[in-house]
Amino acid sequence: MAATRRLGTGWTGLGVWIALLGLGIIGPGAAWGQDAATDFRNNCMSCHTIGGGRLVGPDLKGVTSRQDRAWLLKFITDPKAMIDSGDPEAQKLLKESGGVIMPTLPLGKARIEALIDLLESESKLERSKFAGQVVSNRPLGPEDIAAGERIFTGRQALSAGGAACYSCHTVQGVGGLGGGALGPDLTKVFERLGGRKGLTAWLGSPATATMQAAFGTHPLEQGEIESLVAYFQSQTQLAETPQPRQLFLGLGLAGACFALWGLNSLWKRRLGGVRRAMVQKAAIKG
Amino acid sequence: MNGTILDLFLFVVLPYAATAIFFIGTIRRYRTQPFSYSSLSSQFLENKKHFWGLVPFHYGLIVILTGHLIGFLVPRSVIWWNRVPARLYILEISALIFGLLTVIGLIQIIYRRLSSGRVLVVTSTMDWVLYILLLIQVVLGLYTALAYPWGSTWFAALAAPYLWSLCKFSPDVSFVAPLPWMFKAHIVGAYALVAIFPFTRLVHLLVYPLPYVWRKPQVVRWYSRPEGIR
Repeated sequence: MAATRRLGTGWTGLGVWIALLGLGIIGPGAAWGQDAATDFRNNCMSCHTIGGGRLVGPDLKGVTSRQDRAWLLKFITDPKAMIDSGDPEAQKLLKESGGVIMPTLPLGKARIEALIDLLESESKLERSKFAGQVVSNRPLGPEDIAAGERIFTGRQALSAGGAACYSCHTVQGVGGLGGGALGPDLTKVFERLGGRKGLTAWLGSPATATMQAAFGTHPLEQGEIESLVAYFQSQTQLAETPQPRQLFLGLGLAGACFALWGLNSLWKRRLGGVRRAMVQKAAIKG
Repeated sequence: MNGTILDLFLFVVLPYAATAIFFIGTIRRYRTQPFSYSSLSSQFLENKKHFWGLVPFHYGLIVILTGHLIGFLVPRSVIWWNRVPARLYILEISALIFGLLTVIGLIQIIYRRLSSGRVLVVTSTMDWVLYILLLIQVVLGLYTALAYPWGSTWFAALAAPYLWSLCKFSPDVSFVAPLPWMFKAHIVGAYALVAIFPFTRLVHLLVYPLPYVWRKPQVVRWYSRPEGIR
């Protein structure tokens, strides 16, 4: 009876606990309820300006008068599907952006509608606050390239404490075992993201969810961005080939075999050692 | 992907539910069946295959779990250590070695349970559930290490803040929502293991026999005398 009562109380408590947690927690960490300006800053600014000229993607000033609103909504909702459907305007945009497909944004219909409203209202201003940052024209030299490589590999720590690029990305020929593979190969990122201006904008406000999560609270500083841009520019003539991982796996397997040999050597007398010694001792006495 | 309902279920509801089940289940089992807090050794039933399963599995897993714990507790230190590529490689190769030892040991454990009649008889359904789940979990971990290097740093940069957000009761799934599904399955596997913990032999972790680490091997009992020996 007592056991039944305890069980009942336990499961009821568990249910209440989960319900309370569920009510209290769903939402605060996720990006619900952001305004259109924040959405634009987080998701669009890395590739677009409003009146600041082309980056990877087109300048969006006046886009609502160039394009039908329904088309814009459909395209922003799923750019890849529009491209795959053979839509001529989407194909043209793909060509102009050098083959870079716009990512599908983690926004619902209402937030995309609000973004389109924002594009319309900001386009009417003489200078939008989303006209983009002014990119320095300072010539980038060998010192910038060297600093960029140090930042990429982590030898020079990022001032805001972010993890080194090397952890998730690789560039051809860097390091014995190469860089990481969580993110894309960055050998040709300078070319892919439209050169100095486009890459600077992207690094200042990364568009992908992974980069936003990793660098949202650890943003890159302007000097670090310039060095990285110089480094990526210096690498862009190299070919992008998949990083071989056999050496990494091979070293792991060799190490595991060595460890097994070591464990066996350490305990080689494990079978029979105790019993045999006891029997021998008894035989000597007897 | 930023906070879909599925993400919220898997990375917010599931960890809290698993933790609740863990605490309620372990306390309840300790109060009702205190003497079941054991891994129920089967060494005396079969001793030769036992070594090649249990030893690599346990030493591998202890190191791997410690590595995960360090990445969670002091992520900045891991990021600092990995700032030098040579140090990053040493850490990653070492982790891979111990990960491989874990999977080799676990496969041997499962093979031993299947191939030895005496051990098979004392293997419960929950043991099989645990072994299958552990195998999936370890394989997913190894796959993540090999397919998405270098996990030691990005675990510290992405998974650790997510886990801390859970601990602070302010969950933020945006750190893990964009990560590859194989890694997300690894996280879900961990929660599943936490949830089934109280109902399996895993409870022996809570009465951890620390001297096992350094004591000399000890034969509990021989079940037969080898021929030719008195």
